[in-house]
Amino acid sequence: MESTFPFGFSGSLSFYLSLYVLTLVLHAFFMTYVLAGSLYLAWTTIFPGATDHPRGQQPLALILKDWMPFVLSAAITAGVAPLLFVQVLYRQQFYTANLLLGLRWLLVVPVLIIAFYLLYVWKSQFVARWSVASRVILAAGVAGCFVFVAFCWTANHLLALNQQSWASAYGGGSVVSSVSSLLARLATWIAGAFPTMSILAGWQLWHFRSRSGNQEAAEQEAAAKGTRHLCLVSLAGLAFAVGSAVVYAAMLDKPLQDAVLGSAGRVWLVATAAGVVLQAVCWVMVLKRKQLTTLSLAMISVAGVIALIGTASLREVMRLAQSSLETVTENARLAEAVGGLGLFLGSSVIAGLLITGCVLVTRWGRKPGSEAA
Amino acid sequence: MSPIYPINDYGPLMPGLVMAAVAIFHVFLAQFAVGGGFLLCYFQWLAMTGRNRTARRFIGDYFKVLVMISFVLGALTGVGIWFTAIQVSAATIGEMVFNFHWIWATEWLFFCLEIVAGYCFYRYHDRLTDKASLVLLAMYALAAWMSLFWINGILSWQLTPGDWLQTRNVFDGFFNPSFWPSLFFRTTVCLTLASLAGCVVVNVIPGLDRQERTGLINRAAHLMLPMLAMPLLGAWFLWAMPADSRQWVLGGSPAMMLFFTISVGASLAIGAYAVIGLWMQRLYINGATGTLLILLAFGATAGGEFVREGSRKPYSIRGVIYSNAIRPQDVAELRRIGCVTNDPFPIITEDHLPGDDVELGARVFRRQCAVCHTVEGSNAVAHLTESWDADQMRMNIAKLQQTKPFMPPFAGTAQELEALVQYIRWVNAGRPADWQSDTTPDKLQDIRSWLDEAGTEPANAVVQQIPATNLSRLPAAAGDSDSERQFVQSGVPPHGLAVVQRGQVMAVSTGATNGSDSERQLVQSGVPPHGEDL
Repeated sequence: MESTFPFGFSGSLSFYLSLYVLTLVLHAFFMTYVLAGSLYLAWTTIFPGATDHPRGQQPLALILKDWMPFVLSAAITAGVAPLLFVQVLYRQQFYTANLLLGLRWLLVVPVLIIAFYLLYVWKSQFVARWSVASRVILAAGVAGCFVFVAFCWTANHLLALNQQSWASAYGGGSVVSSVSSLLARLATWIAGAFPTMSILAGWQLWHFRSRSGNQEAAEQEAAAKGTRHLCLVSLAGLAFAVGSAVVYAAMLDKPLQDAVLGSAGRVWLVATAAGVVLQAVCWVMVLKRKQLTTLSLAMISVAGVIALIGTASLREVMRLAQSSLETVTENARLAEAVGGLGLFLGSSVIAGLLITGCVLVTRWGRKPGSEAA
Repeated sequence: MSPIYPINDYGPLMPGLVMAAVAIFHVFLAQFAVGGGFLLCYFQWLAMTGRNRTARRFIGDYFKVLVMISFVLGALTGVGIWFTAIQVSAATIGEMVFNFHWIWATEWLFFCLEIVAGYCFYRYHDRLTDKASLVLLAMYALAAWMSLFWINGILSWQLTPGDWLQTRNVFDGFFNPSFWPSLFFRTTVCLTLASLAGCVVVNVIPGLDRQERTGLINRAAHLMLPMLAMPLLGAWFLWAMPADSRQWVLGGSPAMMLFFTISVGASLAIGAYAVIGLWMQRLYINGATGTLLILLAFGATAGGEFVREGSRKPYSIRGVIYSNAIRPQDVAELRRIGCVTNDPFPIITEDHLPGDDVELGARVFRRQCAVCHTVEGSNAVAHLTESWDADQMRMNIAKLQQTKPFMPPFAGTAQELEALVQYIRWVNAGRPADWQSDTTPDKLQDIRSWLDEAGTEPANAVVQQIPATNLSRLPAAAGDSDSERQFVQSGVPPHGLAVVQRGQVMAVSTGATNGSDSERQLVQSGVPPHGEDL
């Protein structure tokens, strides 16, 4: 790996790697909203704060609760594409890890189904009439489900890369070769989920605030509180993510560290660091001004996406350093020879237009007076 | 050579059953979602045009059911199928994903559209004009049906790869012989399921009187009208199937015949109820009856999917990969080097194995049998072979594809086959602590002879021709006899059938083999004498 990722490989491998990273980023954008959102909501349920304005009743929590089922749906849908490309590129590694995790891996699906339905329950009116203990159990249950799924994916990824441990893992040995490494990696993703969640949640809060106008002082104040929470959550998330990433990096084998610091990963390491710093600066500014502006949100969004792409790219640099480059290159070469790319590109245009059409119809096809309602 | 994946043991359940359970459930929900889109469009039109005043109430409630069931369970069981398919046969799902990843990616685009259109309608339809609602529902229905369209091509390819076997062209594989009958049949099923679900939903909407409910149910039943075409579509599908697969369904395999009958019977029962109850309006469908009809439809779906999956045997992808995840082109090589020689995974299903032979047998069982069989649970090898004596077992397994034509050929050495026999006999003997093997050199020689007699191709070999691109790279004087040249040019050997995979001659059937020496070499080894690019 002499060049910056994903360059320096065969054209087909660069192409599939780029597609994989971009679709993974799209998935991660929604996935982090659900993961961090559920943890934030669990926190607001367990520590509700002042009784007259409990955190769970403030705009940020209400927005998250309202949108989580849809965003989970979006995360699952967006997750199909990277799941497809990982099978094309890293077939043997991915399948073997799936098989070694066995039933533990299959549990991901029912756990997600349970979490999905619990999100709908959580959002319903009658939960407000539940006892505090019941609500805490519900909140912890939902968050626990998503953390479990995150844990499974992390374990799967690490197991896929640790080919030496496959036979012993099958023979009854641990599927996790290094618990501390797994926890550090998991902590990086979970902590990093908060600032990423804050991008979408920030825009939603901004939209809520601009829609409520000047007349609703109480709502404005609530939105300001939400903004403050978002700032603190993002800053704490960034700090923890950086800390755990450093711990994780220190645990990596020397060749992996070299890959990250070498020509393939260096640019992405810098990009990720720049994205993190820019986000932190912007959130501090928002915290000082107590206001989310379009400009600040736009800057946070750009910085967040850069950090996300950088992280995903570094993840692939490390994976490639642990994989047989020859096999992955051959997989990509053979995949390129399979037809259908033209169909996909043509369908992308059509589907893109139809999706835009749906949004426009929803925006312009309102009944007169329905906005006020 | 394909990679060896670890195989998990699910106790008394064989992995195929786990797969079937998830797949049938998902197919049922997904088809309901597709039909639901059309039903909602129809009811939106009824509401807009004033043809049914209560249609509007039905739409909101029905869509909630659709979101709760289809968006959640449907979407996640779809992912679940992928995960489960990996557990059953990673090689098969890998082949499907690899060859059709752009088709799958295209399906994903329409799935995205389905989610966006569905959620836009779900969240905002109360605030939208009728026209805007209809547009969103139409988008949703189109996207859901397009998902079916794309996936149908990949699933039907497994049974009838058609010209793809020769050309490797993705669209030849996609628009395969059973594509259209399968698509139309499934679309009819989708409409029927949506209609039946509609009957249940109508009965749980509060505040409707009997007349209003009847009106809605009769309208929902209109979507069952295409069921009239089901016998024809079913016959078309059967006709499009390979002859041997059709034979399993129509009596060759009692289990498949049974499930086929269940599927047809349940469909007939639903059709009869639709005709008498709904079109002739002699019967009213209450919630309980509607639910019962949906359960019947589930039974029909389960039976149909079982038949579709089972009729591919001995393949999981016809001509490409066997149901035990071994590729036809690997059989000859595995008979030479052994099927578990490179298997790094230890045996974990047995506490104690009395000796190397039995352990080797357990490994062979896992590699070649465990996808479709258990040792002593469902479809147990121990039970299926308990009436055979040892020599019978040796010969029947060596000639497996002839013993049972829906089984793949044994893909291992004579020693491995003998070890498998010892393992099965040890299990049948109650797993004694000590086991005395009765293996002798003569018995191994018998096994070798039987393996050679049976050949490496399945009972109904899929004949593939050499892709033209490979032919063009052949040297001009590729063969030293006319018949060999004929083989090189046509892809079909002069004597018997040639099974050619990915441009390689994999096996040649046991036809008359009295040609030239080089030709005999080709027939015996599966490797042509001058076949550089073959």
